[in-house]
Amino acid sequence: MNDTNFGSIFRKRLVFLVITIFFAIIVMQQFSMQVIDQPTYSEKADENSVKPIYQTAPRGVFFDRNDEVLVGNKPSFTLRITPADYDKNLTPYLEAIIGVEKGYINKILKQNENYSKYIPRRIAKDVDFRVIAWYEENASKLKGVDYVIETQRDYSFGITGSHMFGYTKEISSLLLQRRKNEYMMGDEIGFSGIEKTYEDILRGEKGIKYVLVDSHQKTIGRYKNGDEDKNAIKGYDLILTIDKDAQQVAEEAFKDKRGALVALEPSTGEVIAFVSAPEYNLADFASVTSNEIWTKLNIDEDKPMFNRATMSIYSPGSTFKMVSALAALEEGIIDSSYRVHCGGGFQFGDRFFKCLHVHGTVDLKTAIEKSCNTYFYQLALKIGLDRWSSYGAKLGFGHKTGLDISEESPGILPTRKYYDKAFGLNRWPKGILVSLGIGQGELSVTPIQLAQYAALFANYGQSAKTHFLKGYVETLTGKYTEVQPRYYDIGVSKESFDVVREAMYRVVNRAGTAGNIRLPDIAIAGKTGTAQNPHGEDHAVFIGFAPYDNPKIAIAVIVENAGFGSVNAAPIARDVIKAYLQKDKPKEKSANLAAKSLGGEKSAD
Amino acid sequence: MQINYKLQDRFDLAIFFPALALTIIGLMAIYSATVNHPTASGNFNKQLVSAMIAVFVFIIVYSLPQRTFQIFAIPTYLVSLLLLVAVLIMGKTVYGSRSWLSFGPIGFQPSEIAKLGTILALSYWLTYKNRDINNIKDIGFALLIGFVPVLLILFEPDTGTAIVFMIITISLIYWSGISLFGLFVVLSPGIVTFASLLGLHVFIFAMVMVAVALFFFKRDLFNSATVFILNLGASFFFDYAFKLLKPHQQKRIESFLDPSADPLGSGYNALQAKLAIGSGGIFGKGFLQGNQTQLRFIPEQWTDFIYCVIGEEFGFIGSIIVLVLFLIIFIRLLNLSSLAKDRFSVLVIVGILSLLFSHFSINIGMNVGITPVIGLPLPFLSFGGSSLLVNMTMLGIVLNIYKNRKLHT
Repeated sequence: MNDTNFGSIFRKRLVFLVITIFFAIIVMQQFSMQVIDQPTYSEKADENSVKPIYQTAPRGVFFDRNDEVLVGNKPSFTLRITPADYDKNLTPYLEAIIGVEKGYINKILKQNENYSKYIPRRIAKDVDFRVIAWYEENASKLKGVDYVIETQRDYSFGITGSHMFGYTKEISSLLLQRRKNEYMMGDEIGFSGIEKTYEDILRGEKGIKYVLVDSHQKTIGRYKNGDEDKNAIKGYDLILTIDKDAQQVAEEAFKDKRGALVALEPSTGEVIAFVSAPEYNLADFASVTSNEIWTKLNIDEDKPMFNRATMSIYSPGSTFKMVSALAALEEGIIDSSYRVHCGGGFQFGDRFFKCLHVHGTVDLKTAIEKSCNTYFYQLALKIGLDRWSSYGAKLGFGHKTGLDISEESPGILPTRKYYDKAFGLNRWPKGILVSLGIGQGELSVTPIQLAQYAALFANYGQSAKTHFLKGYVETLTGKYTEVQPRYYDIGVSKESFDVVREAMYRVVNRAGTAGNIRLPDIAIAGKTGTAQNPHGEDHAVFIGFAPYDNPKIAIAVIVENAGFGSVNAAPIARDVIKAYLQKDKPKEKSANLAAKSLGGEKSAD
Repeated sequence: MQINYKLQDRFDLAIFFPALALTIIGLMAIYSATVNHPTASGNFNKQLVSAMIAVFVFIIVYSLPQRTFQIFAIPTYLVSLLLLVAVLIMGKTVYGSRSWLSFGPIGFQPSEIAKLGTILALSYWLTYKNRDINNIKDIGFALLIGFVPVLLILFEPDTGTAIVFMIITISLIYWSGISLFGLFVVLSPGIVTFASLLGLHVFIFAMVMVAVALFFFKRDLFNSATVFILNLGASFFFDYAFKLLKPHQQKRIESFLDPSADPLGSGYNALQAKLAIGSGGIFGKGFLQGNQTQLRFIPEQWTDFIYCVIGEEFGFIGSIIVLVLFLIIFIRLLNLSSLAKDRFSVLVIVGILSLLFSHFSINIGMNVGITPVIGLPLPFLSFGGSSLLVNMTMLGIVLNIYKNRKLHT
């Protein structure tokens, strides 16, 4: 059949030997593992059945500059479902009792179906005690449903601050992929504002409780009597630069208005008050946000979710005239006695640029005081686009102020390059410059840039990057760390500033455009503006600082569709300045900061 | 000789039934490993469909005229080489290896087809007219046929499959009747290379042993020097190739050589697999009751670690049943090799035996923790359509040879 040489008996036997020896080795190895050492392996396998139960840590509390609580924590009930044990027939009852739309629970389960069935999913946060009572009564029928006590944000401290504080949201699966070493499914993560910027120190550390589970994941006891357990550690408390009183006044003033207000401490760039109106209710985000609220917020024509104070770009109007004034003085193009005759406007080429009044012959200070357009039309032509935009940039326009929230727009500061691109190299009409001279045209600024601009006039060109965070308190040690402001100096002479500052003083305290907000005891300096709005009524703008001799606060106010700045924006600025400067201050920095921090204790089991 | 029309004379149940039983046990194990898994729970159904297709293909291959395999030997080999090149250019990367080709919804691993192609082509070449297997030129060419796919697969890189190809090649050369010296020339570079992995002293010792062996073979100086240099060269080449490996593959080799070096990395799978098997005990924890399996301590358990599902849930008894089923197949294949009517058929069966056995031994070895973690599926049991299909095709070829063994003697 086959020749004996081929596949000889020897070769066959050798292969047979290899196969049987290998089998013998495997059988012996498995005998030793499964029969002799089975108890050891079983014990080790059981150790696998130690399940960590995580407790969320309370987030750090926000305090204002005087240690008043702005945002705190409160305990709340969170209802959860563990899909492995859950009976889907319960869904209609659960949805009815927690009061959510049909299909809501299914949607949450669907979103997370790629994760282990044994991880509980949060389905409702901050549920009513009524629901918990109902659960306790029916717990035996509600397999796979449980609740835990967690802390959530408490916003009941008399201020809103929605756009600066921001909110937290359950981490998205996309983000979770990237940060899976730090977060777990269902974790809250700062999504906007300060909550987002300082997420890393705010979130604290999760607590871990180890329990023993059987192969059905039923808890059968604690692991090593809890020796390895870790308590949750609350996140660091933040001391913000906000002044609660000023903030309250500012928010009150913007009730039923649209617009923004930013107040800064001129020497440090600290934000004293910060409003973007209309606001939204942060409490709606503290628990699971229902679709209804999302939709309502997103289709609202007033765009309450939009941070106007840092992202909305407005035309600055006459408030921008001081850029030209400062540039002309500093560059020696004119001195303060340079005069222009205002006959109600300015003819440039074939176009007539109007002034609101006939001011007669005016010098620089009067031109600012009365907001004479004619003067600044001509001044802009003398300065030229390049020098004008370089001073605009020095004064903080066209780039972000560096505020410590991620929502910020740089605005638009037109330069030669900008127009070359828009019209072709050097082909842009020079009339553009005339419009820019009074803060109109392609120029766009944010309220926080205007506030920073006011601060630079208040403090002679020396300030620090705008910021919310004054310092933070480490939870375990109680150590307070002050954040160092990033100081800068724009390098413009005191003489030039003095001229413009005096003119700004006159705007409020002489026959200027904001005489209506003059105070007997506080010397306010400022400038009104009316920002042209192509979509409707003009916006009212006011920037200013006080006290004139030793400025403690610089402010920018924009009220949308409110017409003249003097009538509608300036009084709000005055009220906030008053609230900030006239109270019984300074309060003692309370030594027992930690005691005030609500929810500061390690969270209960 | 006349064909005997009794069924057991045309169809070897001793191979087919164990293979079918293993496939069914595999399906149960895959079901157990994936039923609670969020993304892999469809794998049972996929494997069930693959199994049905595989049995269908098995019947077709079984029914083909026997000459088919000889005729298609070289074309299958060349096509599979083309596919292996194609996969390097446009393949899909799965778990760090570029080993998948997709045509629309159907994806497969060309290396599976290459296994069949290489076995057929080597068998064909080694038995073509008057080959002298002890002629250095003929050995060289046989090695070339076997090692071109090895090289291409190392580029994917898929170390496990490459090792299988080497074993197949050496087994076929061995079975063709190579002399002891020839075998020494083929094997010693491998041994020396492995020794070089264990450290400089072991390497030097191995080279001394090579020199001693060469002395006793009493070949002329030229031959001896050539073999010695070949050995040196191979180990240096390997040292270079080792550096080309992906870090996770280097780790696997290192973690085998020193298991304590990396307890949480590649050692993790091996440890968890041992825990699963060891905790299974004599009778196992019962179907769907293994907590190592059900709580998914072993990643991707339904592929390379399917054996520990059996170890955990069906215990020592269940494992022995699986081992015995394999043993029946292997011994039967070995016996069939001497029943085949021509040298080509003999080598094909030996090639298939070496393929199945190398998969089996490397996979089981890593599951019980006596060989390194090298990604290779367990024939018939592991999840994977390409592999099941090719394994069934091979059994189809074996039974085809068996059916035709008495023709034209």
